[in-house]
Amino acid sequence: MSAEVEAGKTGRRRKLSLDTWAVLVAFLLALLVRAGVFKHIPW
Amino acid sequence: MADAITVPQVQPVQPALRFLRIIPGVLLLAAVGYAGKLLEQNVGAYAKAHHWTFPNIEYVLWAIILGLVISNTVGVPEIFRTGVATYEFWLKAGIVLLGSRFLLGDILKLGGVSLLLVAMEIAGAIAFMTFLGRVFHLKPKLTSLLAVGSAVCGVSAIIATKGAIEADDEDSSFSIAAILALGALALFTFPVIGHFLHLSDRAYGLWAGLAVDNTAEATAAGALYSDAAAKLAVLVKSTRNAMIGFVVLGYAIYWASQGQAKSVGNKAAFLWQKFPKFVLGFLLISVLATYHFFNKEQVGALANLSRWAFLLTFAGVGLRTNFGDMRKQGLRPFVVGAIGEVVIAGFTLALVYGAGKIFGW
Repeated sequence: MSAEVEAGKTGRRRKLSLDTWAVLVAFLLALLVRAGVFKHIPW
Repeated sequence: MADAITVPQVQPVQPALRFLRIIPGVLLLAAVGYAGKLLEQNVGAYAKAHHWTFPNIEYVLWAIILGLVISNTVGVPEIFRTGVATYEFWLKAGIVLLGSRFLLGDILKLGGVSLLLVAMEIAGAIAFMTFLGRVFHLKPKLTSLLAVGSAVCGVSAIIATKGAIEADDEDSSFSIAAILALGALALFTFPVIGHFLHLSDRAYGLWAGLAVDNTAEATAAGALYSDAAAKLAVLVKSTRNAMIGFVVLGYAIYWASQGQAKSVGNKAAFLWQKFPKFVLGFLLISVLATYHFFNKEQVGALANLSRWAFLLTFAGVGLRTNFGDMRKQGLRPFVVGAIGEVVIAGFTLALVYGAGKIFGW
């Protein structure tokens, strides 16, 4: 996948994959909804 | 868009700068997507007020058409491209959030059926694409890439396989161009065929999830039919995506045995590395929803967040599709891909009909 964990070219720091970022952001949003920070999301 | 059909290169860029670079493109995705939503609301009302006969076009199609028009006329300026490429991120976040609308029991029930159909689809698609590649005298690794792209999950699978079997950049560009062009065609043909055959939401959703290659296009093809069809298309497509590691591992072992790729050391680590993590996120949110971690209003809010994420995705599908760039990649892989896709679409439709008879849908 395009979303591999890759070692940076300039350092040994491991980057999170695109998939992992998407999951983290989705869960953060879900927690904010659960905590009542976002009460209503219009469509 | 050239970067849609070439393998992405990782450039060392400061995180803050990278974040700033995506803003213009994300704003463009939002503007195109929202314009699609406004067009859906207003064009139908305007036509009705003037007594015109005009089909009800969903925001999904408007967003894709607007994106296609921009990409194929004025083009997407460089400043927007990094942000437009985030459409895949929004797709995956949207799928995870969509998990809140599935109860675990439904997933296990539908997932079991779809797993069986997916296994048959993958085996059939790989066998047929390999046969076609030989008939058309395509390079063996190009054939492998086309087979994995049409059997599993489009561009992501091709990129994963390219690395594992050490295929040429040119081969992966050919394959990606063919899969993207055919995915764009599927967006316009699948809903028409589905309506012509009077497919139920369930049958159509299963078919779109099984036969359309890229996850974004499969989601859009489902959403063009109905909300229920989109849900099922996403579930089936996610099941296909979950198979990516096994298929890529199979190809990696085959090409290593031919002495044309490195052998795979730790197979479990390889499978985990290739496994799409958003599928796990989708399942986890579904577990939380099943055990009432979210109340009804919160599930509604999460579903709407998922819709907004998909809105950006659909705009991105149009904006990253440039037919001129695809044409430059040559005709033969496209012809092989097109023949393969038509046969796979027919085969998967037969699978869906068969499953409907067996399970009494």
